[in-house]
Amino acid sequence: MIEVEHLSKHYGSTSAIEDIVFSVAPGEILGFLGPNGAGKTTTMRILSGYLPATTGTARIAGFDVHEESMEVRRRIGYLPETPPLYEGMTVEGFLDFVARIKGVSAGDRTTRIDWAIQRCNLEEKRKVLIRKLSKGFRQRIGIAQALVHNPPVIILDEPTVGLDPRQINEVRHLIKSLAGDHTIILSSHILPEVSMTCDRVTIINRGKVVATNTPDRLLAQLGEGEGYELEVQGDATLVQSLLQVIPGVQSVTVTYPMTSKSELGETVKNLDSRADTLRDRSLIKITCIPNTEPGRHLAKVIVETGLGLCEMRRSRPTLEDVFLELTTQEDSFSHDSVSQSEDREFITSETQFNQTEEE
Amino acid sequence: MIIIANIFAIFRKELQSYFASPLAYIVAGVFWLLSGLFFWELLLSPTGLVQEVQAGDATGLITGSTDVAYIFLIQFLSVIGSLISPIILPMLSMGLYAEERKNHTLELIATSPLTNWVVAVGKLCGVLTFYTVLLVPLFIYQIIAFSTASPPVPPAVPLLANLGLILLAASILSLGMFISSLTSSSMIAALVTFFIVFLFISLHFISGQISEPFGSILRYLSPVQHYDNFVRGIFETSSLFVFLSYIILGIFLTAQSIETLRFNRS
Repeated sequence: MIEVEHLSKHYGSTSAIEDIVFSVAPGEILGFLGPNGAGKTTTMRILSGYLPATTGTARIAGFDVHEESMEVRRRIGYLPETPPLYEGMTVEGFLDFVARIKGVSAGDRTTRIDWAIQRCNLEEKRKVLIRKLSKGFRQRIGIAQALVHNPPVIILDEPTVGLDPRQINEVRHLIKSLAGDHTIILSSHILPEVSMTCDRVTIINRGKVVATNTPDRLLAQLGEGEGYELEVQGDATLVQSLLQVIPGVQSVTVTYPMTSKSELGETVKNLDSRADTLRDRSLIKITCIPNTEPGRHLAKVIVETGLGLCEMRRSRPTLEDVFLELTTQEDSFSHDSVSQSEDREFITSETQFNQTEEE
Repeated sequence: MIIIANIFAIFRKELQSYFASPLAYIVAGVFWLLSGLFFWELLLSPTGLVQEVQAGDATGLITGSTDVAYIFLIQFLSVIGSLISPIILPMLSMGLYAEERKNHTLELIATSPLTNWVVAVGKLCGVLTFYTVLLVPLFIYQIIAFSTASPPVPPAVPLLANLGLILLAASILSLGMFISSLTSSSMIAALVTFFIVFLFISLHFISGQISEPFGSILRYLSPVQHYDNFVRGIFETSSLFVFLSYIILGIFLTAQSIETLRFNRS
């Protein structure tokens, strides 16, 4: 449905995207993932026909986005980076205008507008001027605007920006429910979003595609990162060699103490009640050979040597690790919004072993 | 059919936006205030036309009859056309595309199945309709003035004059729309359009000072000159042609300037 071939776009001497190749099958949802400034918006704009590519071609439903722009425009719904809204219009009035210019016939218009308003949860704001609405509502009107004419291809540039967690969830469900009848491409810099909604993910960085695959396979690619993280009471450097020889263990690193005295000022100590506790605890990081499960043996060794096992958790590479590995060669960027917990299992010991190494 | 529907959709949106915009009401207020003042000044004030003619009659300076209604029509519409409208029109056309750019709605328009000239025609119709609405009180002034005229004014004369006013406005708005399509700042669009209108008016005055044939050429190109013809009740196809040329030129340039966005944007 969407075929992108060797697409490049240069702004003067800097290139925004470089030789982008991907395709989206009919009814599929493709996630377009990348850090800010990776070229996501540029690609979306080229697909929508708003920007020309410097070289390469993109086709939607068999039509070249540049040469046969009108045919493409008839078939796409597009949510730009900034929702295009007329502040002086009501939600309903705006959607009516969009339905008109998108060529929805007079007979279908009311039904389509009602549908879009209902699907994007805008009923209560139907008659309200857009000027008076908050960012979350504006974003949803932006999405409604892209759906109102029931286009076969939907291009969404960061659809969940500015929404609260509940609304994000609703929008994800909405997008998922549209798959099948519609081909969807959505860009995001938020990983869980992409891994939850999309059938396939294309990761781009600095204007280049660095990986395209299903979320699961991307994870599998980095399977080697699998391992355990343990927090134990006492100095674990002593048991490092014992852990090292357990079958399946690839490498062991021990940090003791977990926090050093010098790092902590008085104020911090007062604020963080855990600071004292952490000072005589060790952090053990273990990486394993794939598909071996040495967890039980590890726990046994720790307990038998008399160290108190406080926490043990499996550390699985998340899509986020894949993303970071693929996208951070030179620069670092913040990814605060990414929630860590999704792909991890926590095994926290219920019983505290109050043994110390002196005993 | 789809083209008409699209033009109508844009026209409707544009017209709505004027009625929802506080600025448009301010512009309307200023326009009505100024035109009302001039109506009074030209016709009824102590130095106005009525007093002047009466004084002329009394002192015997004027012999024969004076067509007060006709003189009023010429003076009033000249003032409206070459003094007040040049200030008002750039303020109406300035936001046509600049606002779309600023609000990122151009991205919606440019990715919808609309040709650029359809959008331009729709917008021009919208703004011209709003301007025509502004003229309604002026029509009433004229009706009041002519209702007392004896012998009665043939309706063709004021109709032609007002048609000229609307054509002049359409020309200026069309070029203003083009200027607006070049920038995302309404202010810059208004200033540049004002400058162009000012140039047109000065062309009209300069043309008399320039040797032939350049003077005639300038006069022919000046929309103000053709407007004068309309106001005086002279209908020439060439005048109509010049106005239509300006209107079509504006629409064409606007469509082209938006089209270039699709080809070159960096």
